Amino acid sequence: MSSLQIQNNQCFRLDEIIFSAKNDFLNTVSEHLSNGFRMIGLFPPDKGNPGRIIAALANSGSSELCIVGGEFPEDKLEFESFAVSFPQTNYFECELAENYGYTPLNHPWLRPVRKQNVILGDKPYHFYKLEGDEVHEVAVGPIHAGVIEPGHFRFQCHGELVYNLEINLGYQHRGVEALFLEADSNRRIMLAESTAGDTVIGHTYAHCNVVESLSNTQIGLRAQVIRSVAEELERIAMHLSGLGGVANDIGLAIVASSYGRLRTLVINSLADLSGSRFGRGLFVYGGVRFDFDSENINHIMKKLNTVRNDVKVINDFLFSSTGALVRFEKTGAVSPDSAFKIGLVGLAARSCGIELDTRINYPYGSYRYFPVSQITLSTGDVFARARLRALEIDESLRFIFEQIENLPEGEIRGDAGDAEPVSGVVSITEGWRGEIVHIAVTDEKGGIVQYKIKDPSFNNWYGLSLALRKTEISDFPLCNKSFDLSYAGHDL
Amino acid sequence: MIDAIKLRILQGDPIVHDVKNANLPKLFRGLPTIVDKPCPEGCDKCAAVCPVHAITANPVKIDLGRCTFCPLCEEACPGKLIHYTNNYHIASDKRENLIVTKDTKSITPARAAKKIRDYFGKSLKLRQVSAGGCNGCELELNALNNVNFDMGRFGIEFVASPRHADGIVITGPITKNMANPLQICYDAVPNPKIIILVGTCSIAGHVFESSDCLQRKFLDENKIDLYVPGCPPHPLTFITGILSFIGR
Repeated sequence: MSSLQIQNNQCFRLDEIIFSAKNDFLNTVSEHLSNGFRMIGLFPPDKGNPGRIIAALANSGSSELCIVGGEFPEDKLEFESFAVSFPQTNYFECELAENYGYTPLNHPWLRPVRKQNVILGDKPYHFYKLEGDEVHEVAVGPIHAGVIEPGHFRFQCHGELVYNLEINLGYQHRGVEALFLEADSNRRIMLAESTAGDTVIGHTYAHCNVVESLSNTQIGLRAQVIRSVAEELERIAMHLSGLGGVANDIGLAIVASSYGRLRTLVINSLADLSGSRFGRGLFVYGGVRFDFDSENINHIMKKLNTVRNDVKVINDFLFSSTGALVRFEKTGAVSPDSAFKIGLVGLAARSCGIELDTRINYPYGSYRYFPVSQITLSTGDVFARARLRALEIDESLRFIFEQIENLPEGEIRGDAGDAEPVSGVVSITEGWRGEIVHIAVTDEKGGIVQYKIKDPSFNNWYGLSLALRKTEISDFPLCNKSFDLSYAGHDL
Repeated sequence: MIDAIKLRILQGDPIVHDVKNANLPKLFRGLPTIVDKPCPEGCDKCAAVCPVHAITANPVKIDLGRCTFCPLCEEACPGKLIHYTNNYHIASDKRENLIVTKDTKSITPARAAKKIRDYFGKSLKLRQVSAGGCNGCELELNALNNVNFDMGRFGIEFVASPRHADGIVITGPITKNMANPLQICYDAVPNPKIIILVGTCSIAGHVFESSDCLQRKFLDENKIDLYVPGCPPHPLTFITGILSFIGR
């Protein structure tokens, strides 16, 4: 077993990775996968040499993180697909095939990830099809009935019941990863902020961790606290938005609009701190740009106190309403076993009872000193995903109040030095949806030559497909909102 | 029932009554002001730090269509010539009016032609298309319907079908993969129709401008009626821009 053990945000030299022959590589990866590891990245560290690839693997249970390297003959980039035994890797293999021309043999479902015509060539895409009497197909999107991002959904139904939902994405593909390589530092931060505009802090935090780890930059404690407070504010805001969304989808207008009012207070708190309602401009390499002072703390505490008081009343109303519970409970359930097999992450995984929270399993920044609690529920249905949001809001509020009351003194901004040459780093943060992975690799001059992003939505879209099985098609909006996944984060 | 009424009471009166004179947080970055002083000899620090090439030095000019409202130029300027105020009135019907110079005191869209105002003045239904948007602009457009901004009170609403719409709102830099759906959607909107660009991405491509995954032909082929700059634009920038445009 030749794997390189690393830590979250630990810079490693590329020559520490042993690139073993193809079969050794495949065996090592399989062994890890059967020992409870999840795949978080599969790509060549050098774009010019696609035959050498690395698999980044994480075992949240034991908080292990490792890199396995493999060498493939350049004229024969093919391997026996892992996905037959480990469905969680299936999408990573599709991505590898699409970007670097690999052929995963016997892959159960090789399909385009972001570029329609790479894997398929000129052949049209065939959706999975259900045949028989009284069977019908529903096609939705890419443009949906609302102000939402584009994606195509294809339902195979029998009567009202959905038997299969196929999700086709890639409409938002902007080439984010490639742009990272040619951008200077200011531009890179802006790219990270725009990777998924609802997870500005989560992605920018991961990106800054990458660059700071590569350049061995230490961050002051005060800056770390400000970063994590911002991250929790983002989490609260988007959880409120998600709760408002599910309430709206079951027609509980008073609850939806109440959550909406609270969300405004939370994102305005971010604006009090950073001037942007989404926290854009807050992060710089080496710290943060804006500091807490007595004035903005006053504004923020006033708003958050209202949130803390009101959210209890609204939650009580929602979760004691029979009408709501009837719609939530047992709707769109994903079993813990399926959730583990397909590699769900974040909120969706925790609602199935899987203990997986980067802030706890791979702590970073101030979460190393000021822990948050792992919260899980077990039913994996819309109820669990909604209820978990409510519980996480309480925990995030507790964290923020604790941090702001005990703000450490010190500088908030330092300078990042030059990046280590021929090195790599894996940075994981817990965005509000779940695990965000940024992986960077540098060349001899310390320039970034490979940049890989994995948004939690990359794992979780398939969870939505599973949730819809044997669910009424009219419950689709509700299930969709309970996952609340990112199109831009997936499409990059 | 009584609990629902309690919730309603808890809501209080959160609405922004006067959308034209609201108070935004002190740090909010809206319309920049440029001090009427020459730049220090040979200095182009602001232009050098700008990731989206929105600013030129000597004399300082900022193109709000390109600007992402980050604080980099304000921070870099040794003469402190640039200051972003929290003035959110920055929408414009003309692209060139988005270029801020030392003489710019405010930006307001000109009123649309009488025919447009007669058609849409009291009821304007819009179809939004996200063509590569990151969900930042989309969230702010969704926020227009919340209890704080409640755009519906002005008769302006987002609709599901382009057939019901009087115009389209485009967010995102327009990816190749969305170029065709955008065109189909636009074609499905009955005449007369308007096009509104929301956010730096749709107006100028943001940091994605140089990406080979974009297809922005649509913008060259069609007349744009309203530009709403910002990254993302504040909901009030959108509301006030549209209200001025339809003459209210």
